[in-house]
Amino acid sequence: MLVKALRLRHFRNLSSIDLKPHPRFNIFSGANGQGKTNLLEALYLLSAVKSFRPQTNAELIEFDQSQASLEAHVERGGQERIVKIEIGERGKKVYLNNNKVKQLSSFFGTLNVVMFGPEDISLMKGSPSNRRRFIDRAIFNAQPAYATESMHYDEVLKQRNALLKGPHNSDRKLLAVYDEQLIQYGASIVQRRYNYLQEFKPTFEKTFQDIFDASFEAELTYELGWHSGPLNDPDAVLSDRIKIEQLLADALERTSGEERDRGHTLVGPHRDDLGATLNGRELKAFASQGQHRAFVLAMKIAEISHLEERYNFAPILLLDDVSSELDRDRNRYLFDFLCDRMEGQVFITTTHRDYILLDHDLAVFHVKHGEIEAQDPETDAFATPHSPQTYSQPLENSSSAKQEE
Amino acid sequence: MKTADPITDLINNLSKLPGIGERTASRLAFFILNQPEELAKNLAESLTNVKDKIGLCKRCCNLTEGDYCSICMNVKRDRDKICVVESAPDLRAIENTGEFRGTYHVLHGLISPLEGIGPDDLRIAELLRRLQGAQEDEPPEIAEDITEVILATSPSVDGEATSLYLTRLLKPMGIKVSRIASGVPIGSDLEYTDRMTLSRALLERREL
Ligand SMILES: [Zn+2]
Repeated sequence: MLVKALRLRHFRNLSSIDLKPHPRFNIFSGANGQGKTNLLEALYLLSAVKSFRPQTNAELIEFDQSQASLEAHVERGGQERIVKIEIGERGKKVYLNNNKVKQLSSFFGTLNVVMFGPEDISLMKGSPSNRRRFIDRAIFNAQPAYATESMHYDEVLKQRNALLKGPHNSDRKLLAVYDEQLIQYGASIVQRRYNYLQEFKPTFEKTFQDIFDASFEAELTYELGWHSGPLNDPDAVLSDRIKIEQLLADALERTSGEERDRGHTLVGPHRDDLGATLNGRELKAFASQGQHRAFVLAMKIAEISHLEERYNFAPILLLDDVSSELDRDRNRYLFDFLCDRMEGQVFITTTHRDYILLDHDLAVFHVKHGEIEAQDPETDAFATPHSPQTYSQPLENSSSAKQEE
Repeated sequence: MKTADPITDLINNLSKLPGIGERTASRLAFFILNQPEELAKNLAESLTNVKDKIGLCKRCCNLTEGDYCSICMNVKRDRDKICVVESAPDLRAIENTGEFRGTYHVLHGLISPLEGIGPDDLRIAELLRRLQGAQEDEPPEIAEDITEVILATSPSVDGEATSLYLTRLLKPMGIKVSRIASGVPIGSDLEYTDRMTLSRALLERREL
């Protein structure tokens, strides 16, 4: 998968951008607040239609303008497609090859991105919603149809909550309808997440040992947030759609009184979480800062490897200023992985060019006041014909190498 | 409450229409103001007429000028099948496929607790009454004996919920209930579905 051209108009502070990205590494350097993250956000929107940061449409449009437009030429499997999004204050219009897209399900999957930003560093410490978003995004990249499914679940949830809060909350017939929908869509989501996790786990566990220490066993489990007590045989239950439906039905029955009292849905995958342990001990309670970062890095890298191994394509990777959040060894591991074990196109933002341990196959762009300027490779100290080992030298040596130039 | 001046009043009323924001409403208002008086008079008359003369069919709740709509009055229609739709435009979309020879029932909405729409806000009571047999004042030539109900609400979450609700009501009455087959793409409104998909959906409906 390759973004061959990117064209942005009036998107946030990016007034007019025409970019021909490098097929491998694209480094966007510049001070904070110049528009680097906006550029990554544009690519993210072209993939998922909604942003990774909660936004109103108006915020996405440049000040004093009425419409923003984003367009990318994307190549996948030898076929080139044009994806385009127009953002007005009232909504977004999505185009595929200049035809207006009526159902997003036929659009999703044209461009796949994996985003890794500073807020991901606290993924395993923060609230369960972040971890649900992680796994949902990962499944979405592997199986785009999942997006429609999870949107439907969210709608059912909203309707059911409104029913529980509203004047009809004792209408048993009506409640039964929303129970049925919750069970149907909910079981499917639980099963998809569980199946994904099973596929993903071996890659993840190996990656963690690579990054951290071979004597450590990192484990991820799927945890139901609405089931009383642990499951007897989680694998037998969570891999079986009918059993999950039964479990949901039982839980709904058990909590029906409480749900009506509290006026919202207490049962379903919107309450689930990913559990994490390190050598059998709970990550949240016992892990060091370094272990946390290694864990998250392993999750992100495994997400990409898994797509490459299982689905045979490399997603576009968006790295938003992560190097400043990783310690030196972890940062080195990340760039070794990107250079040697991953094939796809990468967009990297940074405030410090020397954090980015890359010296070939790249284009460097300077971002200032919403304008992006390609930098002559000659002036990029790291892109000139260094020996390929440069990036595996310690950071300090890299910056002294810069001075020698 | 203070009454607004006539222009503001018109703008306010126009902006209640779907798809019309305040800017468009104000453009329309000044356009009307600058045109010959005839336009405003005709417009006002059409607006009153449409509410005065168009009502709901006493049987299927379709829009009609008379007591019964032309479909219900058509003696060539099958009298054993009802296709339940959300709205009059949906009815027209199915009618345009030419595949369906029975009659319709228009719900005028979908169940949506979020919008405060419950079963009582839809024309469900009328449907149930219809299934219980002929009403007193009905013309005998259009008498019906319904054995099958086809639920053709859109495949959205609300369409599915409404269809599930109706299934739960109708099944115990011994009526065959089927759902339009999933040939209709998820997330699309029936109104915009092309004829081929819709007619295929009608032919491939599945029993619930
Ligand atoms: Zn009628």
